[in-house]
Amino acid sequence: MEEYSVIGKPIPRVDAVEKVTGAAKFAADFSFPGMLWCKILRSPYAHARILNIDTSRAERLPGVKAVCTGKNFNGWTWGFMPQTRDEPPLAVDKVRYMAEAVAAVAAIDEETAEQATELIRVDYEELPGVFDPEEAMKPGAPVIHDYVQNNQSWEFHMDYGDVDKAFGESDIVREDRFETGKVVTGYLEPPSAVAMYDANGITLWGAKQSPYFVYRHLAACFNLPLNKIRVIQPFVGAGFGGTKNDSVAGDFCSVLFSKWTGRPVKFAYSMEEVLTTARRRHNMIVFSKMGMKKDGTLLALQQKIIAEGGAYTAIGPLTMYLTGAMTTLPYNLPNFRHDAYRIFTNHPVSAAMRGHGVTHTRFAAEIQMDMIAEELGIDPMDIRLKNAVKAPHETINGVTVKSCGLTEGLETLRNTESWQLRGKRATSGRGVGLAAASYLGGARQLGHQSCAALLRLCEDGTVNYLTGATDCGQGSDTVLVQMVAEELGIRMEDVNIKRVDTAVTPCDPGSYGSRVTILAGAAAQKAARDIKRQLSEFAAREWKVQPDELVFRGGKVFVKDHPDRSMPFSKLAKIACYSGSGAVILGRGYSQYGLERYDWDKGLGNPGTSYSFTAQLAEVQVDLETGVARCEDTILAHDCGRPLNPLNVHSQNQGGAVQGLGQALYEGFIMDQGKTRNPTLTHYKMPLSTDVPRVEVIDIITEDPDGPFGAKEASEGCIVSTPPAVVSALKDATGIWFKTLPVTPEKIYWALQEKNGTKSG
Amino acid sequence: MTTFYRRLPKFDYMSPKSLSELWEMIRGANGADYKVFAGGTDVIPNLKRRKGEVPKALIDLKGIEELDYIRYDAGVGLAIGALASVHAVARSCLVWEHYPALAMAAGKIGATQIQHRATVAGNICNAAPSADTAPALLALDASVRCASSTGERTVPLKDFFAGPLQNTLSNGEIVTAILLPESTTGPGSCYIKLSPRHTLDLAVVGVATSLSTADGTCEQIRIGLGAVAPTPIRALAAESTLCGARLSQENIERTARAAAEECRPRDSIRGSAAYRRAMVGVLVARAIRQSMAALPSRNTSQKLGDCR
Amino acid sequence: MRQIEVTVNGKQEKIEVRPSETLLEMIREKLHLTGAKEGCGMGECGACTVIMNGVTVNSCLVLAVEADGKSIVTVEGVGSKEKLHPVQQAFVEHSGMQCGFCTPGMIVSGTYLLKKHPQPTEQQIREGIAGNFCRCTGYTKIIESIGAAAGNMSEGGES
Repeated sequence: MEEYSVIGKPIPRVDAVEKVTGAAKFAADFSFPGMLWCKILRSPYAHARILNIDTSRAERLPGVKAVCTGKNFNGWTWGFMPQTRDEPPLAVDKVRYMAEAVAAVAAIDEETAEQATELIRVDYEELPGVFDPEEAMKPGAPVIHDYVQNNQSWEFHMDYGDVDKAFGESDIVREDRFETGKVVTGYLEPPSAVAMYDANGITLWGAKQSPYFVYRHLAACFNLPLNKIRVIQPFVGAGFGGTKNDSVAGDFCSVLFSKWTGRPVKFAYSMEEVLTTARRRHNMIVFSKMGMKKDGTLLALQQKIIAEGGAYTAIGPLTMYLTGAMTTLPYNLPNFRHDAYRIFTNHPVSAAMRGHGVTHTRFAAEIQMDMIAEELGIDPMDIRLKNAVKAPHETINGVTVKSCGLTEGLETLRNTESWQLRGKRATSGRGVGLAAASYLGGARQLGHQSCAALLRLCEDGTVNYLTGATDCGQGSDTVLVQMVAEELGIRMEDVNIKRVDTAVTPCDPGSYGSRVTILAGAAAQKAARDIKRQLSEFAAREWKVQPDELVFRGGKVFVKDHPDRSMPFSKLAKIACYSGSGAVILGRGYSQYGLERYDWDKGLGNPGTSYSFTAQLAEVQVDLETGVARCEDTILAHDCGRPLNPLNVHSQNQGGAVQGLGQALYEGFIMDQGKTRNPTLTHYKMPLSTDVPRVEVIDIITEDPDGPFGAKEASEGCIVSTPPAVVSALKDATGIWFKTLPVTPEKIYWALQEKNGTKSG
Repeated sequence: MTTFYRRLPKFDYMSPKSLSELWEMIRGANGADYKVFAGGTDVIPNLKRRKGEVPKALIDLKGIEELDYIRYDAGVGLAIGALASVHAVARSCLVWEHYPALAMAAGKIGATQIQHRATVAGNICNAAPSADTAPALLALDASVRCASSTGERTVPLKDFFAGPLQNTLSNGEIVTAILLPESTTGPGSCYIKLSPRHTLDLAVVGVATSLSTADGTCEQIRIGLGAVAPTPIRALAAESTLCGARLSQENIERTARAAAEECRPRDSIRGSAAYRRAMVGVLVARAIRQSMAALPSRNTSQKLGDCR
Repeated sequence: MRQIEVTVNGKQEKIEVRPSETLLEMIREKLHLTGAKEGCGMGECGACTVIMNGVTVNSCLVLAVEADGKSIVTVEGVGSKEKLHPVQQAFVEHSGMQCGFCTPGMIVSGTYLLKKHPQPTEQQIREGIAGNFCRCTGYTKIIESIGAAAGNMSEGGES
């Protein structure tokens, strides 16, 4: 393995000092002179026609500068695909989920704006709502969108090999129903932005994980060319997919208000607003059928998914595709059929969330594999080792794996004390479970998917780095700076990364699908090599050697095998920049996918550039009398190729595992006729410091040949593996298989009662 | 909710420095005109959520310093002033020594930042069925001193709760102290809170017991239950099944079952009525055993060590 | 409106506040100290944690008028870029943050905890930050950071 200067080292975040001193500014921290506040009015009904909106009283309240409704957006709607542009900035003819945005007010302060919303009168005609996807699919169910039949938002099918024949050849076939729960991203920073509309166009300081989405939405909505849309990235308080990868009512309304008033306009959602209206992870019913030979060889998997889409389409098509495209990993699977249906309901919109699409189907497949292993008398570790893929591998749907540390990860877990003591601890209610997962990096897109980097070499040898990739807390700025510094052989502090500003940073698909390290990183490497190539020409002339004989390392440039012929990088930069009438040294690069076949409709081909593998062990303690379960320990053996920054990668894996723990044991929206009954942090229970163990992360190094410095994605795999690892541990602790999430204390209690034959009313 | 508020509604703020100043401020005022508060950890969120009428003025009691105390007089008992914070009660050596159930319960409220501001008086005035200190105070036979411009009265805590989030204070009255008689159970009291998470959650079920024993027989027992009735309650029928009886496993279980039958839980987002009832059965037995284990014939030093 | 006098990060301030203004709003919007954040506004997340007269409070639940005559410490008063507090330094070195939104509150709670328990056990650290919600880190590195700070401070660093 190569020895690097900064790659692979535990480098502190480049923005750590700003964050710990409170100097890092987030969207809601910005204020401007003359700024107005925007407040959204929302619907009290889950499904209703809007008959009339009377804004006159609100307009007359002193301090109110403007009021807008859906009509002011002239019928514009947006969506991820041309045929799914079904969502308006504010509801127009009807509302489709409770608390959908209906109107907005701009006023001199937030109190006045809030007060004014109470003065807007909306006449609704309530419509029957439908809140269950299986009900919504039935003919005769309330119609949520006219443009589809039976509320079917999207469907996606895959069929490889011959599952029916394979089930016929299986010694064991199981069919089970699983349900994955209603959870949300749970970022701490509510969506917020300040908008300015003036002669330069639109400027938005927005809490966005992927600013380029809102950039395109604003251009389309306000009929402006893209070069007049400037989305500036403040620090972002996390995203995890979902809402911050999209636009919200506040974005459009504050821009509109700024257009009308000529003043900056700010909005900030409240946490309750977020927990009531933000994009959630799809709740999916997975009907899973798995067939194996009695020696534990996996023969076939067939899954049917009913995904609750909520009120609009959003990124749903990609979600449905991901539920199947990755199911052929992490085990050898020769026969696979997949039928996924996304169904509209009168609930908040379901969209992407970390582990996008894969969490649901992997959960079902992992648990089902364990159920069959139990029937066959095979240990969960052995059955996974038996079926685990090894590199190089190509799945039946064309996913090519060039590096895979799964076997090594499983073996590492097998040797842990926790696994060795499984079943041997004296405490009752103790259980140890295991799960494995794979997740894609460099997620494939329809349309624009290339990342770019622009490096500006300053005359003193320092570098400005422009990238469109957003650091929303995952640490990409730090890792990207590491890559540039490594490539150029200079110090971290000599590379200054500029946060995204769409007026100057190159377009980027966005920070999701674990693409930043891989693709923005690839672009960064190319741009750095471009700089080196240009500088090499100057040095080569100086020393009369070929450009490719030069090495850039340790802040110096020197001739390979003749280190005495060297000069500081900064000196070479100066020479180059001041040569002739002055050269401007810019390095450019953008990532490109290979020219491989890809078929979206069939899920055939590579959904990403590479695939991480995670094996996870979880240990739980269940209070068998009350059902209260705690995760006492969890260990992740993950293969991300090479952790470019172990501090980052470990922290990210720890965070993902705890998020997965939340989904497994604690989190779930309680809905009642479209109303979210628990939209507070007290009642939507995300893990706190006293609920979680130390998460141990073990790196399995495989050095992916395609990744920059051997890297693959890190920390989406762990949110996929955590729920099944926990459920597997619960089985070990209680003897019960839980097939729906979250596994709350009450659920455990009733299941134990039933198992012990003591169930009473 | 059609508007999600981030800002408080408009109100005036008053800060009396003494009780007589307070009576002067609210003289002739209608109950809806003002709202007294101390820690504000329930009052402020409720106002932000626009729950209930917005008062014209908030009256801050924290300036009435005479109300901030925790006093123990041997032979009399414990007096907790209305302004004593949850944090102070949770860490008071006095409370740990004589009334551990209360210290345990106070320590289970919210988290550190909340405990610094919240008061025990406020916890009972808010009168949530799940209020953590309530079962402990009931099991410790607490009463509440209520004062108004015309005088004072003391009411047993069990008569202080009228219904969910309703107390029996009349217009013009505030709680000035919570009184506990001299402890007859010493270290033999405890509070158990059932919740999915360790911190922040409201109790799904709250159970407090306070007991004393003599030669393996139960001399006295009081059981306080939270979140399983419209108000926090004493499980009187259950108590009577154990008082004077041998503290055998069988008798303890029987008492726990009686408490389970006695309570009146309902379904809510935190749990179903059936689960809560079942948990009363489990946790009353557990609490009784825990209280027994804390009694002097075993390890005396343990509880005092908890006082940090 | 009323005028209050409050010491913020060691500096005496005279500020005009409305009765219904929270301490958090005053700190952020009048003093422009935007370290303390509004996460939930209801005292459930700790993003707004500041120290008031020596103890940590959720400033979103404190009225600005209540701070009259009191001393407030925000994250900006804990340390600066030029001179980081050992807790801040430890968070930098051990990567105790990701997105940074919960970080000001964590830092303030961390410094308060170490004043109370200079040599905290892991459980004491967990309980000390239980009122500070974080979605990014899973808490492990935050606990390590505070533990490391405790170690550094006992070796003669500042407290």
